[in-house]
Amino acid sequence: MTTLTTAPAGPSTRAGTPPRRRGGPRPWLYLLPSAAVLVPLLGYPVYMLGLLSVFDYRQAQVSGGEPTRFIGLANYAALAGDGRFWSVLGQTVAFAAALVVATLAVGAALAVVLTRAARVPRLLLSLAAMAAWAAPAVTGSTVWMFLFDADLGLVNQVLGLDGFNWFYDKWVAFGIVGATVVWHSFPFVMVTLYAGIQAIPASVLEAAALDGASAWHAFWRVMVPMLRPLITIVVIQSIIWDFKIFTQVYVMTSGGGIAGQNTVLNVYAYQTAFGSSEYGLGSAIGVVMTLILLAVTLLYLRALYRGGEKL
Amino acid sequence: MNRSRVVASTIAVIATVVTLFPVYWMVLSAFKPPGEIQSLEVRPWTLHPTLDHFRRVLGGENFARYFLNSLAVALTVVVLSAVVAFLAAVAVTRFRFRFRTTVLIMFLIAQMVPVEALTIPLFFLVRDLGAVVPAVGLNTLGSLVLVHLAFSLPFAIWMMRGFVAAVPEALEEAATIDGASRAVVLWRVMFPLVAPGLVATSVFSFITAWNDFIFARTFIISAKDHQTLPAALLVFFKPDENDWGGIMAASTLMTVPVLVFFVAVQRRLVAGLGGSVKD
Amino acid sequence: MKMLNRAIAGAALLALAACAPSTAPSASGGDDKSGTLRVWLFDEPNRAPKEKVVGEAIKEFTAANPGVTVEVSYIPTTPARHEKFKGAFNDPASAPDVAEYGNTDLAEYAAAGGFADLNEDLRAWPEGRDIGTDLLRSATVDGKVYGLPWYIGIRALYYRTDVFGELKLKPPTSLKELTSTARTIREKRPDLYGVAVGGEYTFGALPFVWSFGGDLEKLDGAGSREGVKAYTDLLADDNCPPQACAGLTGGRTVELFAGGKAAMGILGNFNRSAVDAGPAAGKYAVVPLPGAEPGSIAPAFAGGNNLGVMKSSRHRSLAVKFLELLGGKTYQTKMYEAMGNLPTLTSAREELAAKEAFLKPFLDTVAAGTRFVPVDPAWVKIDNQKVIPTMLQKVATKQATVEQATTEAAAAVKAAFGGS
Repeated sequence: MTTLTTAPAGPSTRAGTPPRRRGGPRPWLYLLPSAAVLVPLLGYPVYMLGLLSVFDYRQAQVSGGEPTRFIGLANYAALAGDGRFWSVLGQTVAFAAALVVATLAVGAALAVVLTRAARVPRLLLSLAAMAAWAAPAVTGSTVWMFLFDADLGLVNQVLGLDGFNWFYDKWVAFGIVGATVVWHSFPFVMVTLYAGIQAIPASVLEAAALDGASAWHAFWRVMVPMLRPLITIVVIQSIIWDFKIFTQVYVMTSGGGIAGQNTVLNVYAYQTAFGSSEYGLGSAIGVVMTLILLAVTLLYLRALYRGGEKL
Repeated sequence: MNRSRVVASTIAVIATVVTLFPVYWMVLSAFKPPGEIQSLEVRPWTLHPTLDHFRRVLGGENFARYFLNSLAVALTVVVLSAVVAFLAAVAVTRFRFRFRTTVLIMFLIAQMVPVEALTIPLFFLVRDLGAVVPAVGLNTLGSLVLVHLAFSLPFAIWMMRGFVAAVPEALEEAATIDGASRAVVLWRVMFPLVAPGLVATSVFSFITAWNDFIFARTFIISAKDHQTLPAALLVFFKPDENDWGGIMAASTLMTVPVLVFFVAVQRRLVAGLGGSVKD
Repeated sequence: MKMLNRAIAGAALLALAACAPSTAPSASGGDDKSGTLRVWLFDEPNRAPKEKVVGEAIKEFTAANPGVTVEVSYIPTTPARHEKFKGAFNDPASAPDVAEYGNTDLAEYAAAGGFADLNEDLRAWPEGRDIGTDLLRSATVDGKVYGLPWYIGIRALYYRTDVFGELKLKPPTSLKELTSTARTIREKRPDLYGVAVGGEYTFGALPFVWSFGGDLEKLDGAGSREGVKAYTDLLADDNCPPQACAGLTGGRTVELFAGGKAAMGILGNFNRSAVDAGPAAGKYAVVPLPGAEPGSIAPAFAGGNNLGVMKSSRHRSLAVKFLELLGGKTYQTKMYEAMGNLPTLTSAREELAAKEAFLKPFLDTVAAGTRFVPVDPAWVKIDNQKVIPTMLQKVATKQATVEQATTEAAAAVKAAFGGS
């Protein structure tokens, strides 16, 4: 926990425009309701998560049948020595990275398309995006699974691939799951960036156009820098969401695919904690996941600070 | 210019079709008679729409009750998180104080913890809480409101930050000079100005609460009247028996309310999300 | 260093303070003779017939016990049931009095200490003696009987009479014959799978292992390996191509047979209505799944559901009474008529067998001896970690040889038993 509090303290002095007012106790008063909710309902469980990860804690202990036993870092040692954990970790990182890139690419491209399209197509696309966004992860995954069903799925019927199983090959299966995730998450990126582009003064873009900048050039040299604060939010959120991906994988590959080939970290943690009732070990995976996310996000934020961004 | 508009419009239309198709397929399959779903000749339309699947999904269960429960939980979470997140966002954007950045980073970290891993500690917390405050113990809708509030707040605060920052401070100063109290400035001046932002964030809070399966089935153990929609529809999501008609009807029932909510706030959502770059 | 100090400090803290919230209060029940009896039964995709029979039982029960109401909740069988039950164990105030549960989940629930020992009650109940010892074992842990077996599901070999007639084949009498028959069918009718098998169909594969003298506890033994080889040999292009079949669950193999895409399938007595609703209706017959030895029957898995009384129940004798009513002969027979659930009471089964020719192969299978998964929390772990499916799938997809995959699976099984 110590790392969490000290790391960000440094760069804050460089923040672009820090708030001017010194409020005395007032800001704390405003933070009080959040604290009242978050400290007991999030802080305490997170603390418990950390604690559980250093205990031998299974269903028998939960129900009080056996005493809880402190085992130090044994759970972490077990993970470090578990070859499967490492391979799952590796493919989770790779899959999440691919998802982040794909989501941002699709979302950003369609955001630019939105700004240029005529009114009716623009409206249609925003509504369609809303629909994809609104679809609960469980139902969305189920529909995609149905579309790619080996026998009754539309895709096989159209392509004439009778009985072809899309979830047999590890990478094809990851591809379909990935497409579903992108389908669910690109609307957030698209709508956010579109709104951001709309907010850029037209004069800036016109000036770029007058300078003879190509659309591509204008995008990278003019829009991207202006949108940086939004892009930061979008990137961080995508990293957080995609690294923790659970529902789509769990539903579509029925818990990890053939011989567990499509397992990702969150699914692995869930199966360890709930499936096998190894709450201690499962908690350790949860802690590791949080720390990895933290490291990635802090690295990203630090890179931004170096570039002179404010927080 | 004109050509780029045509190209963009074409891409937009294609993207629309691709994006909307799964939703269309879901609704269509929900209305298809079982024979057509099982048929090996898949058609993208049906001439014999049926309400059978919906009847089966709704049959016997106190569906209206579950629906209202879900709605009540989601809307309460939306309202509470909007107010609480607004206050916190004002604190971190308008004031300079020790640990400001630390607090911000904490809100970010709070989003990184895998929710699934927290169910066990939360279960015991809620159980023990219920002994003191029965309204938020196990088997109550209050417990669901509380946890969803906790899980939607960090992101809501993180987003609201941008919107609050976008409100010119001059406005507040002017109001203060006019003799308005701090409370009036906060609720009468600032709050309405960040309304689009509130809408944008409330979308997320709503989804968090509405789509939840995990807490609904962990906390609501025996109170049949406090069941929420997802938990009630779970029976149709069986990995083994592919009752696609039932699954699609259940999915449609779950998706439509969110969709309505989205379309209702769509304009404000776009305005809101853009708000954070205007400064 | 600091981290470690904190961890140790935290350990002390947990021992002092947090230990209390993380365990369930001791579940001391009671014996109220009136009030509301809470009952959990599993939900079914088509629940109406079940609800009707249960409704009749409740009517009879409340008429005999004035001042008592019975409240039934239908809970999902999806993995959500684990959370429900764990919730009930950890918060006795939310727990039901009587609950239906899958017998493969028993060991874990028993370890959690959630169910009451009904040994005495069942012994004092005249109908209780009518349950075979094989079956009672599926409700017993360490000599304690945690429930009344309510119904069982037995799998046997369904085959298509039209295809067999056309190709002049006879139902196989050994597993070897099953393989050759399946290959013949696939060769002459490439549009069909010989026998529908699935990589995730644990209870379809286990009879093969058992029949060759293997067992779950020694998957790397010679018998187990022969069984695994015999089963995975079927997951090949000459019967059921791995591309299509490696990922199939038992339920999906039922669909294949019911959908007319397979000439044989290992299906349960409870799958009859699904088959009758599809194109294979009226064109099939059932024989016991043959064993390794010609003429023998492969040991079947005795899956099924039990009715138990929760330890925390405050209406213990009422709960037992209701359980004995719903699990008694009258209602077991009614449940068969409504849902096709095979009774656990021998006399009820025999009466049905006399009436229903369809049941004969299943009852023959029961008579030849059924097997059960280890009644140990380790099984739940093995099941949840998908040890058996992973083993089968690795062989079927040629990621590992039979030797490698069984060695690996045996290690996982050993770890599961050792760790609990």
